[in-house]
Amino acid sequence: MGEWVATATHRQTRTFLPPADFCPLCPTKPGGFPTEIPEPIYDIVAFENRFPSLQPAPPAPAVEATQLYPVRPGLGVCEVLVYTPHHDSTLAREPVEQIHKLIRVWTDRFRALSEHEFVEYVFIFENKGEAIGVTLHHPHGQIYAYPFIPPRVARELEQSRAHKDETNRCLLCDILAGEQKDGRRVVAANDSFVAYVPFFARYPYEVHIASARHLQALTDMNGAEQRDLAAILKTILVAYDKLFDLSFPYMMVLHQRPTDGGDYDHYHFHIEFYPPLRTATKLKYLAGSESGAGMFINDTLAEEKAAELRAHVQPVAWQTPRAGEPGEPGKSGKSGESGEPSESGEPGGKGGGR
Amino acid sequence: MQRRQITLEDGRYLIFYTFEEAAASASPDTDGDDAAGAAESNGGHAEPDAEPQATEEKRV
Repeated sequence: MGEWVATATHRQTRTFLPPADFCPLCPTKPGGFPTEIPEPIYDIVAFENRFPSLQPAPPAPAVEATQLYPVRPGLGVCEVLVYTPHHDSTLAREPVEQIHKLIRVWTDRFRALSEHEFVEYVFIFENKGEAIGVTLHHPHGQIYAYPFIPPRVARELEQSRAHKDETNRCLLCDILAGEQKDGRRVVAANDSFVAYVPFFARYPYEVHIASARHLQALTDMNGAEQRDLAAILKTILVAYDKLFDLSFPYMMVLHQRPTDGGDYDHYHFHIEFYPPLRTATKLKYLAGSESGAGMFINDTLAEEKAAELRAHVQPVAWQTPRAGEPGEPGKSGKSGESGEPSESGEPGGKGGGR
Repeated sequence: MQRRQITLEDGRYLIFYTFEEAAASASPDTDGDDAAGAAESNGGHAEPDAEPQATEEKRV
């Protein structure tokens, strides 16, 4: 079908929802059972996944290729990023300073993994919550360094290229300009980033965070942008948790340029959140149309869901203000400060395609 | 940002990242925040974070 599927049968035996006392992502305690992390002093840890889907030195394929069924070794890198030593935390509950640190670690890992000759795409993501299928509760994310450009990103690249060829403009720059002008789908914004429920949202509470400046990757960001990204991530994560007064499950993915040496100036860095909840107690399932046809059915309007989230946007308080500035609670997390978004979403019950 | 890499018994690498924010804010070449300060005199385009200081050791 033109897409690769990784078979990683050893992952069937991976650790599954262990009790907190036996969390493999907690630091090893003196006299305690050995965890993945043998020392207690760190801010963030990155390590190769014990149960990788892709490996730098993969074994030969377990089956032989045929003309109909090509196979190749599972070449790549799978890393785990442990966000904090604190087992009971979440990224939303961590101070914005810790999210800022995570962004710098993401940047370092992106840079390091992209140096592998065989890596064409570095994919940073987090699965959070049992609703998503996480097997470990300790706050952590993952990185897959693929030996090819994965299909969803490839599709974005194609569309970005087509828009560039047609208009000589960046697709996401145009989307951002439209969202900021309209305002109804904007959830939060600061000097460097805009968070919005996309017009074409597939999940009810899907949020995208895009850089105001035309960047392709984390490594293109300056220090102010790193801070602003931390602030707007904190804003969205807190709003998610407050929405239903629970620790909100989500998939968070970073979409950056490929690392295969190609020219991707037409592409635009952004982060996408796919939360599985459509209400406090109901899940959005990927059923027949979504799984079998690739067409999502969204039972909600982006404008209404953005307004719900916007109602939970709070100022972000830094404990470590930028040099030369006083403490700046409220600097980020402003809700469409230049042109307050309209609260008047269209009435519900409308159909149509986006 | 400091990076210390060790090798686990099964051969996998593990990297400890630590940050000393107070030191970083006083050292303009080591942290993104300071790069932001540099941006103000550089047309708003600061350099990204400096490469982390790295060490490596074997864990046996």
